[in-house]
Amino acid sequence: MADVAWIESVLSGAVQAGTVYLLASLGEVYAERSGILNLGLEGMMILGVAVSFIFTNALGHGAALLVTMLVGGLIALILAFMAVSLRLNQIVVGLALTLFGLGLSGFITSAEIRKGILLSLNPNLSEAALVTQQAPKLPNIAIPVLSDIPLIGEPLFNQNILVYLSYILAIVMWFVLFRTRFGLSLRSVGENPAMADAMGVNVYLMRYIATVIGGMLGALAGAYLFIGYQPFWQEGMTQGRGFISLALVILATWSPLRAILGAYLFGGVEVLQFRLQLLGVGAQTPQFLLMLPYLVTIATLTLLSFEGVKKRIGVPAALATPYSRE
Amino acid sequence: MTLEKRLTRRKFLGVSTGAAAGAVAAGAIIGGIAGYFAGQSTAPTREVTRTVTTTVAGPAQTVTKTVEKPVTEKVKAGYVYVGPVGDFGWTYAHDQGRKWADARQANVESTYIESVPEAEAAGAIETLLAEGYELIITTSFGYMDATAEMAEKNPEKYFVHISGYRSGAAGNAPENMSAAFAEFYQLYYLNGLAAGAVTKTGVVGYVAAHPIPEVIRHINAFVLGANYAYKKRTGKNIKAYVNWLFSWFDPGKTRTAAVSLIEEKNADVLAFTEDSPTTLQVAEEYTTQKGKQVWSFSHYSDMTQYGPNSHLTGQIVNWGPLYLEFYRMVATGTWQSVDIWTRIGDYLPWRWRLPVEKSTAGKPEGTVYLAPLNPAIPSEWQLEIKRRYEEMKELLFEPFSPEGNLDQPIRDQAGEVRIGPGERADHDMLWTMDWFVEYIESELPKV
Repeated sequence: MADVAWIESVLSGAVQAGTVYLLASLGEVYAERSGILNLGLEGMMILGVAVSFIFTNALGHGAALLVTMLVGGLIALILAFMAVSLRLNQIVVGLALTLFGLGLSGFITSAEIRKGILLSLNPNLSEAALVTQQAPKLPNIAIPVLSDIPLIGEPLFNQNILVYLSYILAIVMWFVLFRTRFGLSLRSVGENPAMADAMGVNVYLMRYIATVIGGMLGALAGAYLFIGYQPFWQEGMTQGRGFISLALVILATWSPLRAILGAYLFGGVEVLQFRLQLLGVGAQTPQFLLMLPYLVTIATLTLLSFEGVKKRIGVPAALATPYSRE
Repeated sequence: MTLEKRLTRRKFLGVSTGAAAGAVAAGAIIGGIAGYFAGQSTAPTREVTRTVTTTVAGPAQTVTKTVEKPVTEKVKAGYVYVGPVGDFGWTYAHDQGRKWADARQANVESTYIESVPEAEAAGAIETLLAEGYELIITTSFGYMDATAEMAEKNPEKYFVHISGYRSGAAGNAPENMSAAFAEFYQLYYLNGLAAGAVTKTGVVGYVAAHPIPEVIRHINAFVLGANYAYKKRTGKNIKAYVNWLFSWFDPGKTRTAAVSLIEEKNADVLAFTEDSPTTLQVAEEYTTQKGKQVWSFSHYSDMTQYGPNSHLTGQIVNWGPLYLEFYRMVATGTWQSVDIWTRIGDYLPWRWRLPVEKSTAGKPEGTVYLAPLNPAIPSEWQLEIKRRYEEMKELLFEPFSPEGNLDQPIRDQAGEVRIGPGERADHDMLWTMDWFVEYIESELPKV
C-alpha cells in the first residue's frame, strides 16, 4: 500500500494533526527556556478554542485569531504575575489556570451567554448562527510550484494559513532564541537568573515576555484545532492536547526546530493508529501505537538525567524555580 | 354531580442558568473543588394544585364543598450527568429528556449535577439526597455500582440507573433501584439499509468508541442492514471496516479516523458512535470540497445542519418518556423496580404498525426514532426502510434474524452460525454480543 498517494495522504494528516502540538509547544519552549513551566497550557488552549469559535461566527477568522491570541496572552499574564512577581508554586498556579480555562470556556460558550456575546459583537447574526456549534473552517491554500513537489509538496504546501504560520514561527523563534542577544538573555534567565541579573538582564521582564508568548501561542493552537482542523465546539474538546504539548517540549529538548519533528511525530502517530487499524496491523491491540510517543518522551527524559547530555542540550536549569533578588 | 378542575400556578421559582454558569466559572477559579456544587442549576419549580369543587344535590338544598389538595405527591428529581449539558451528545440528550419530562408532569422539581467523574458518583448522589431530592437518576454506565450502593443505604428513596444492568427487577440490586436504556440497534439496521442503498464503492465504515457489547451490536446491526440492501442491489456482499477511538468523545481523533476510512478503504458511507457530529462534518467536507460523495448520519439528535449534503438519516433519542414514567411512579406512590429497554414502538400513543405510505419513520415519536430520511435514498429503499420501521413497532421484524440477512443464517467472522434458521436474537445475546458479523473485515480488539 505504500504508494506515493498513500504516503502523501498520511504525511498530510500528520502535519494537520501535528500543527496543534507545534504551535503550543513553540510557545512553551520560550516559557520554559525562561524558567517558567506553564501547566496552564491546556486551559489556554481550550480557551483559544472557545474564543475562536465565538469570534469566528461573530466577526470572521481574522478577528478571531487576534482576539484569541490576546486572551491567551492575558491568561498567561496571570500566570506570570503569580509565578514571577508573587513567586508562587508554578505547578499549582498552572494547574489552577487549566481548571480555570476549562471552566471559563464552558461558561462563555453556554447557550445564553454565548448568544449574548455574539449579539453584542454582531447584532445582525441569524438565529442559526447563534445556536450552531460549528464555524467555517480556514480554507487550504496551495502554494504554486512548491505544492507540486512529489511526496512532500502536497502535505507541506497545500495547507491553511495557520500551518504556514507555524513553519515561519518555528524558524524565526529558533533564530531569535539561538542567534540574537534577546535569545541569549532569555536562555540565561532560565539557566542562571542570578547571573543574568548581575549581567544586567531584567529577569522579571524576560520571564513575563516569554510566558505571554507561550500563552498567546497556546491559545492560537486552540484556535487552529477549531477553525483549522475540526470545527466543532464541545466542552473539553482539546482532550489533553495541552499536556501532550508539554511532553513534546521535553522530546524536542527545548528547541523550536526539533519541535517541528516532534509535533509531526505525534501527529503521525495519531494518523497511523487509525491507518494501521484498517490495514490490520496490531488490530487486536490498537492502543499499543498510542503509547509510543510517550515511550519516546520517557526515553528522552531518562537520557536527560545524565549530566553530560543535560549540559550539551541546554536544559533550562532554573526551570520552575522562582527568582528573587535577595 | 359536576366536577370542575382548575389549575393554578402557585409558584414559579427560576434560577437563571446564567447565574449557575457564572458559579461554574467561579468554582473553577477556586480550584475546581467547588465545581461539583457550582455545576448545579436548579430548574424552575412549579407547584400545581387542583381545586376540586363537588356539588351535591340534596333534597332541599345544594351543598358545595371545595377541597384544595395536591393532585399527586411532589416529585423532587436529581440527575447525575457524566458530561457537560452543552456537549451536544449524550448528556445534552439526557438534559433535553429531563426538560421534556418536567414539562409534562405537574409538581416536579428537578436539578442536575454535571461533569461528575465516575469515581465521584456516590458523593454527587449524597449531595442530591442531602438537598431533599428523592428520585435520583444517574446517567452513566460507570455510576452503576455507586447507585446500587446508595440505593441500599437509602431504602426510602428511589434510584434509576441508565445504561446498566443492576435493578431490583433483575434481582441484583435493591427494590428501590430500576434500570433503563433507550436502545438503538434497530435504527442502526435501518441506517444500514440506507447505506447499502446509496453506496457506490460497496464499502462502509464505522467510527466506533469502545469495543463493548452495546457498540458491537450497533456495528453488527448497521453492517447487516448495509449488506441486505447492497446485496439485493448488486448481488455482492458489502465490505465494512471499523476504526476504534477508545474514547467516547474526541473530535480531533474522530476526524482522523473518519478520513482514514475514506482514504484507506474508499468507504463512502460512515456510521459512528461518538458524541459529536465530526464524522458527518468530515463527510460533508468530502462531498462539497473534495468532489467525492460521502454519507453519514445523525446520532442522539438531528445533526442535519452539520452536513446538509451528506446526511442520510440517523438515530435520535428522547429520554423524556422514560423519565416521565419514573416521575409518575414516585408521584402516585406506585413505585416498582423495572428494567426497561426501549426500542422502536415503545411509548408511542399508537403502537400499531402503519401502512407504509402513512409511516412515521423520520418523525419524532417515542424514545428512539429515525432522523429525517434524505430524498437521495432511492424510493424503493425509502419504502423498505419505512416498512421495516413500522414492522418493528410491533416487533414483527428482528434485524438479528435470518430475515434481516436475506434469509441466510447470521455467521460471525469465523464462519460459525450465530443465529440459525428460525431463530432471532434475544435480550441476553444482544446484551453480551462480543463477535462481529462475517461482512466486517476489521478484527475485534481484545479487551
